[in-house]
Amino acid sequence: MVKRQAANALPSNPVVLIPAFNEEGVVGRVIASVRAVCPYPVIVIDDASTDGTRTEAESAGALVLPLVANLGAWGATQTGIRYALKHGFDLAISLDADGQHDPSQINSVAAPVLNGLAHVSIGAYPERGSRARQVAWILLRAVSGIRLEDLTSGFRAYGFDAMRELASWRATYLDFQDVGVLSLLMDKGLRVMDVAVTMRKRENGHSRIFRTWLAVGYYMCHTVLLGVTKRRIRRYRGMLPSVSTSVLSETTTASNSPAR
Amino acid sequence: MVSLLTGALGLAVAGLIVWLVRKDRLHVNHGFGWVIAAAAFALLGFAPSIIDVVAGWLAVSYPPVLALTLAIVVLVIKMLLMDIERSKLEMRNQRLTQRVAMLEAEIRQLSEHGSCKVQEKETPHDEEDTGSTF
Repeated sequence: MVKRQAANALPSNPVVLIPAFNEEGVVGRVIASVRAVCPYPVIVIDDASTDGTRTEAESAGALVLPLVANLGAWGATQTGIRYALKHGFDLAISLDADGQHDPSQINSVAAPVLNGLAHVSIGAYPERGSRARQVAWILLRAVSGIRLEDLTSGFRAYGFDAMRELASWRATYLDFQDVGVLSLLMDKGLRVMDVAVTMRKRENGHSRIFRTWLAVGYYMCHTVLLGVTKRRIRRYRGMLPSVSTSVLSETTTASNSPAR
Repeated sequence: MVSLLTGALGLAVAGLIVWLVRKDRLHVNHGFGWVIAAAAFALLGFAPSIIDVVAGWLAVSYPPVLALTLAIVVLVIKMLLMDIERSKLEMRNQRLTQRVAMLEAEIRQLSEHGSCKVQEKETPHDEEDTGSTF
């Protein structure tokens, strides 16, 4: 069992997790960008890539967890969270390997967790989605009752309590990191917060979820069913209003009430 | 004649299941359910009037419909149980895959640095796992 840390302790040992699948052309630059802006260790979870992702990541100075089978973005992220817990990290910041997420915003995304305002914070940029994706998000928010801005963003910070919940076997049943993961966290009373960020166009490849209409259909059926079945009758306790980075910088010094 | 045929078929299936369990081709947990199904099959084969009696109790006017409905219900339950078991196996398989990746990284670290040092201040503790999952 994980030893529970002091009740009021704030995270002090962060790690950056980058799940990657066939991102040899970009992952090295992403790791270098992360290392340029923060001193945290970088772990790349190679999701059974068939290209040189692993070599590139190792050359860039990251520790690589090489999965022998493709588990998808959430399965890879959970691997990183399990590893991070096992090795004493208490804050896991995840970002995509395709260059979409700007590492210079890591501190903004992690700030609510570092300050104790939330257990999980999500770097939200809802404007990035096409009209079809916006409709999908509206539908998913409606069926799941989760009122967060950007359900699918992989740019997140998970505090220790959230990491513990997400390392459990129950979270392994989930295929995606959106509705299922967020429902699990909120069901445990953990606080989840949107943080407004900007995102770039991905440098390599395309979305693993929205790659074909068939995949979109499967994803929507899967996630709508999950949202309906996991929906709570009463309002989630853990949802917090989204904040902008400017608000966060003001609360950084004001907050002294840790979320855990 | 038909009842003899279906009854014999039920007994043959029961015999096949016993043989599969004896040869370790079928786990005894699964074999138990199949033995019951085969026994019921044989019983209804040798004495089909049982279904007529039960249909009479339940006011089903055409008894074969009752037999077919019960068979479909049993099959659906069995399929549901199989999917539950499959979900569990997929989850375990995924956790094993994750564990292999974690161990591979640790072995590599050990062979390169002599320790699994990935951060400056390491306070190792066991990861939470529940029950028999890895």
